[in-house]
Amino acid sequence: MWLSMWRVLTDYSGILLRGLGVTIELSIISMALALVVGMVACLASLSHLRVLRYPATLYVEFCRDTPILVQLIWVHFAWPGLFGVKFTAWDSAVVALALQSSGYLAEEFRAGIESIDKGQVEASQSLGMTWLRLMRRIVVPQAVIRMMPGILNQFVTCLKSTSIVSIIAVPDLMYQAGLIASATFQPMQVYTVIALVYFLLVLIISFAVRQASKRLPRFGSFGAMS
Amino acid sequence: MSGRAPDAGIAEAGNSGPGSSGQGIPAKASAAEGISVEAVTKKFGALTVLNGISLSIRPGLATAVLGPSGSGKSTLVRCINWLEHIQDGRITVGGTAITARGPLNGGRPMGARDIAKFRTRIGLVFQSFNLFPHLTVLGNLIEAPVGVLGRRRADAVVQAMDLLERVNLAEKANDYPARLSGGQQQRVAIARALMMDPPFMLFDEPTSALDPELTGEVLKVIGGLAIRGRTSVIVTHEIGFAREVADWVIVMDGGRVIEEGPPAAVLDNPTTERARAFLGRLHRI
Repeated sequence: MWLSMWRVLTDYSGILLRGLGVTIELSIISMALALVVGMVACLASLSHLRVLRYPATLYVEFCRDTPILVQLIWVHFAWPGLFGVKFTAWDSAVVALALQSSGYLAEEFRAGIESIDKGQVEASQSLGMTWLRLMRRIVVPQAVIRMMPGILNQFVTCLKSTSIVSIIAVPDLMYQAGLIASATFQPMQVYTVIALVYFLLVLIISFAVRQASKRLPRFGSFGAMS
Repeated sequence: MSGRAPDAGIAEAGNSGPGSSGQGIPAKASAAEGISVEAVTKKFGALTVLNGISLSIRPGLATAVLGPSGSGKSTLVRCINWLEHIQDGRITVGGTAITARGPLNGGRPMGARDIAKFRTRIGLVFQSFNLFPHLTVLGNLIEAPVGVLGRRRADAVVQAMDLLERVNLAEKANDYPARLSGGQQQRVAIARALMMDPPFMLFDEPTSALDPELTGEVLKVIGGLAIRGRTSVIVTHEIGFAREVADWVIVMDGGRVIEEGPPAAVLDNPTTERARAFLGRLHRI
């Protein structure tokens, strides 16, 4: 049995690697998109302008409160009718994953920004910075460093979520596994191998993250309270 | 008795060097401007912090504001640059009037951009320093001159190093604030405010968060460098410092001025009972 698993890994390594490549590429692209959208949604939800705040809050809640599977199918099959946009399977996958992640990231960002001392804002204002500038230059950079662990957790979640895109035929790792399983009639071996591949991938990322976060600039405590 | 010996004029002029002309912000006051506060009221909820207070801050001079905690001194200072919003009365800072509607420009409330520009002319030093922890000391100093005033980075660096030299922190230029002592952080914060070359400097209990042995170095920087040639307001509990550096002393209580005058008169011979009681407590400490 172990031998047949090893066989799966070696015989189909080309296909599996291609699938893995798609999985990683999909996670990175949708995460990058989610970072931007999440930040915009976060800033809008913190705005004192209601026309920005209300829609942003609604958006964030919607993203967080709908299952990723539903979002994927909704984007792929309902958006053409709803918004008149027709995506390829790949694009739908990116949009759905970004939708989901951006909601969580926006919340992550908001918590991070609200954790920044009010004195930072006041100091920036008294130096003549406008709200947008002080957010961009002072508050957000500090918040991002503080939020790094949360962002990377979200990346791992996003990576794992990519495994469902095979249902709209995006050729990711899971999709290739399905093909191999039906070609070899060895679902047990194939899916065990796939589970291990995901496990190792996430393990490696988590380890790298932990190492990297040790190198993040540490401000320690500062200001009068130190 | 003005404690400011002119000989120690450590070249304030270097501060307003070639690069500091900003973006045509009109008032690089050659003739200093004052601040006037007329019947200003500020409430936090049901609590009245400034109770129809009126006073005037003389152009180019240092005014120390003393008073028991909760007397509204910090709030007063924070109202001057619109960090706190007043509910009634009028504050005039140089040529700019502030009412309950905000800083005015030609009778109309300023937009966010103009308020930001207005604030570049008023340096504020906080009790808790509020340095930007993700930037080095040098980064803290040049952030606003480059980003807000649009000055050339190289020029700002030269000016920053010059200022750091004068506050004895040149060797810390590339350190992060967390690595500095409180006294060093506050000196950096003062230098950061001075980078904007503001005609007005406000100090909100600049030494209250410091260990006693560190207050001296900060007070020296304030008296020797920061207030020169500027209209300044210093909220402080340091009576000796007020006596030495201030040209005028104001004592506040209950959101009003209860006594004011030249330092010697106010600090040694207060006329009102409340001022006498408060100053007596301070002297004893």
